[in-house]
Amino acid sequence: MDILVLGMVFFILLALVIGVIISRVSKSSKLEEELREEKELTHAIVASMGEGVLVLDTDYDIKLINPQAEKLLETTAKEAVGQKWAEFVKAYVGDQEITFDKRSSVKTLASGEIKITSIGDDHYYFTRSGRKFPIVAITAPLKREGKVVGVVKVFRDATHEKEIDRMKTDFISLASHQLRTPLSAIKWFTELLLDPAAGTLTMEQQGYAAKIAVSTDRMVSLVNSLLNISRIESGRIMIDPKPTDLLELVESVISELKRKMDTKGHKFIINTIDKLAPIPVDPKLIGHVYANLIDNAIKYTQDRGDISVFISKKNDEIISQISDSGFGIPVNEQQKLFQRFFRASNAIKHVTEGSGLGLYLVKAIVESSGGKIWFKSEEGKGSTFWFSLPIAGMQPKKGEVSLDS
Amino acid sequence: MADSNFTVMVVEDEDLLLEAIGKKLQQVQMFPILCRSGKEAVDYLSAHEQVPNAVWLDYYLKDTDGLALMTLLKQNPKWENIPVVVVSNSASTLKVNNMLALGAKKYLLKAEYRLEDIVDIIRQLNETK
Repeated sequence: MDILVLGMVFFILLALVIGVIISRVSKSSKLEEELREEKELTHAIVASMGEGVLVLDTDYDIKLINPQAEKLLETTAKEAVGQKWAEFVKAYVGDQEITFDKRSSVKTLASGEIKITSIGDDHYYFTRSGRKFPIVAITAPLKREGKVVGVVKVFRDATHEKEIDRMKTDFISLASHQLRTPLSAIKWFTELLLDPAAGTLTMEQQGYAAKIAVSTDRMVSLVNSLLNISRIESGRIMIDPKPTDLLELVESVISELKRKMDTKGHKFIINTIDKLAPIPVDPKLIGHVYANLIDNAIKYTQDRGDISVFISKKNDEIISQISDSGFGIPVNEQQKLFQRFFRASNAIKHVTEGSGLGLYLVKAIVESSGGKIWFKSEEGKGSTFWFSLPIAGMQPKKGEVSLDS
Repeated sequence: MADSNFTVMVVEDEDLLLEAIGKKLQQVQMFPILCRSGKEAVDYLSAHEQVPNAVWLDYYLKDTDGLALMTLLKQNPKWENIPVVVVSNSASTLKVNNMLALGAKKYLLKAEYRLEDIVDIIRQLNETK
């Protein structure tokens, strides 16, 4: 009897243990299956993406390449995996090869930040068969438990976009140049009309003709802005860096704006925290940035306001700060400030003229110089704009055109 | 300023602009020679012993361009010293540098200048010559 009970208890226990083991085993095999399915799905997603996908490790070795990237780069996974990415596929800005430390993957790995390469950046890949094609790309850090363990790059062939972009730019350029002929005729005949040599106009007629002259000049400067934008966007603009003393550059810009500033009775202060060594920038491009920001400060500040420029050094950047005590930018419009043709609602009330192209162009210049632009503003109190330039300066670039030509 | 003997050859293929420039030059007592094409300009120069005091040249012409005309002027010892001011719709770095290298005195962007300003520039060129 005892033995029987003992045997039964033993049997029940055994069954329980086996049951637990079986359920564990089936659970773990289910987990394994789920894991496998997920892995297959991830693999299928990466494999069927229309964009090229690359994964690099912290040594910039290619860890993964998807079929679309194989196709675009004219290679195979077998050939590519394990290769040094920067050597395997050369990258260019325009016709200039991008040096190792300027490659997006290197920058992303160092900073842990996402880097977006858009059509305006004019980036190209060079395959080993010699095909060069424009790309747009997103380079993101691959993070595991908060640590950057590599880089994921998603890119695509932007040949078609490049072509459309070029056509758009060519059209703007052509149309703007065409507009200059009738504009010159209006400008010159208005000048002749206002000249007493052509006979005397009544005061009223003179007033009308003077208004035609002012409007024509506005149109001329609008055409210039459009042309400048098409030049920057096309990437055809030449960048000719020269060692430049930024303080002197601001002073030369100010001398042109001085009359405007005096008319409005503004107080102007220019300052720099330490002696700045000249940095290699294109004085024409960066001069345009200062001129535009200071001109805005003059225009959008009530008479007898305060305007200041402050240049300082922070790590490996030069920061320029342009402040005013002006109208400010309404909070709900601030995110649109750098958009093409945008003008703040209070700015339009105070100053009717203006194209809404100035800051758009300024941002494009700063970013193409390797810098950033940002601002703080409060309505009724004023605005402060900052822009940074790398202390190493701008990269020279051959081009067919320059600003204001 | 009485510059009645001061002749300016204007090479410009837009009739309206040519008319405006001609009127302005007359107003300031300069003598305009108006040419609608590169050919008219060369024909005039070839037919006259007296060379103009200055040439006001548009870059884009229907039959030629500023570069070709400028080269032609520079090849002829009789014409090579006439001061040339280019007044054009387009002032790309390449064009400006090419024209200045060929000896143009100034390269001006058309819509940016008043006639009065361009006349002043031509006058100053002649004074510093």
